[in-house]
Amino acid sequence: MTNLCDDSVLLSLVQEMQAGSPDGLARIDALLAQHPEDARLHFMRGSLLVGAGRLIEGYDGLKRAVALAPEFAIARFQLGFFQLTSGEAEAALETWGRLDRLPDGHYLREFVDGLRCLIRDDFLGTMVHLRAGIARNTENPPQNGDMQLIIDQCEAIIAKADADGDSAVSETSLILQRFTRPKEVH
Amino acid sequence: MLSPRLGLRLLERPSRVEAALWRRLRLEHEDKCREALFELYFPLARAIAAREFRGRPCNGMERRDFEQLACSGLLEAIDHFDPLRGAPFQSYAKHRIRGAIADGAIMASEAGAQHHHRRRMEAERLQSIRPEVDSGEVDFVSQVADIAAALALGMIAESAKHNHAPMIAGLGYQSLAWRDLELSVLREIDRLPEPEKYIMQQHYLNGLAFTQIAKLLGLSKGRISQLHRAAIQRLRERIKYSE
Repeated sequence: MTNLCDDSVLLSLVQEMQAGSPDGLARIDALLAQHPEDARLHFMRGSLLVGAGRLIEGYDGLKRAVALAPEFAIARFQLGFFQLTSGEAEAALETWGRLDRLPDGHYLREFVDGLRCLIRDDFLGTMVHLRAGIARNTENPPQNGDMQLIIDQCEAIIAKADADGDSAVSETSLILQRFTRPKEVH
Repeated sequence: MLSPRLGLRLLERPSRVEAALWRRLRLEHEDKCREALFELYFPLARAIAAREFRGRPCNGMERRDFEQLACSGLLEAIDHFDPLRGAPFQSYAKHRIRGAIADGAIMASEAGAQHHHRRRMEAERLQSIRPEVDSGEVDFVSQVADIAAALALGMIAESAKHNHAPMIAGLGYQSLAWRDLELSVLREIDRLPEPEKYIMQQHYLNGLAFTQIAKLLGLSKGRISQLHRAAIQRLRERIKYSE
């Protein structure tokens, strides 16, 4: 990458945005005018716009970040996640393909594997991988909250199917209990 | 049983799914997203048509005519909406749909626009299924039989949407047999290959004219007419062999 924004400038920008500064987008745009090839700025712009509900422009920001820096793993993960939540599962899988090059056990690989399981309606697999990812993710704690929400939804689905007597899911539930709950002593 | 794709549906957010459709239609020129957006907002168009039908002088128009006008308004709205402006499509579309109904209602003659629309749809159908001119020997009886069978299939498909079986109440067996026939026509329409299936559903079940379907699919009206004819022929064959 060439002509990148200075790290200290970027850090102060992040701090301002976390403090709720209303002119974050204008500042990013000003920095992008000086550093149009800085994938981090595009990623921040994309994330900010998605948060503001400007979804088409937000997607463009995430996509540009990944195009400029294909190894920018967190941007790649977020782009894929955005695609998945936009009903574009195939595009998400394609985007995430490159994350398989991350080392074994990397939290983003676990998250991606969990979401791949979710696409196949494998709720047990989803929970196992997402839990492993959360346990290993110290780099980006807010993401753990999002993944925990998905785990909670999977648990609810399994519990409901269990109550409805869905035999296939009951089996899953039994396996799940072995993995996740201490054995009961009678 | 859990419904398939439940995992995906857990994550999909309607606002993002819709934004992706607009992005793909406007920026990536995926025309099929136009159909998806039309399907997404078709219930809105129908609801507005129903409200307007109750609240306006009808000038001889039927509810179905209001729905037609609403569909035209929706199509116009899809074509003119700029998703990057930030306003939600629903508000924009409501305005355009109401406008299309108001314009249509003003233009409707006292003779009744529904007759005009109905006649136009029937003329389109007839044009579509009419045998091509052939220099060889003509068997008029079999041609008339072919046309009658094709028109009847269309009539059954239309009636299936409204479930007209009670019209022959009192004739229990006949009503059931008719309903069976309607259901088998609907089933066979569902099995048609695309875009024939789409055309049949939009024309007979949603009441769209060929011109409107042509606009939706980005094809000529003549092509829609050909595909309609092919679909009718395929339906006839399939229903004949399933008896």
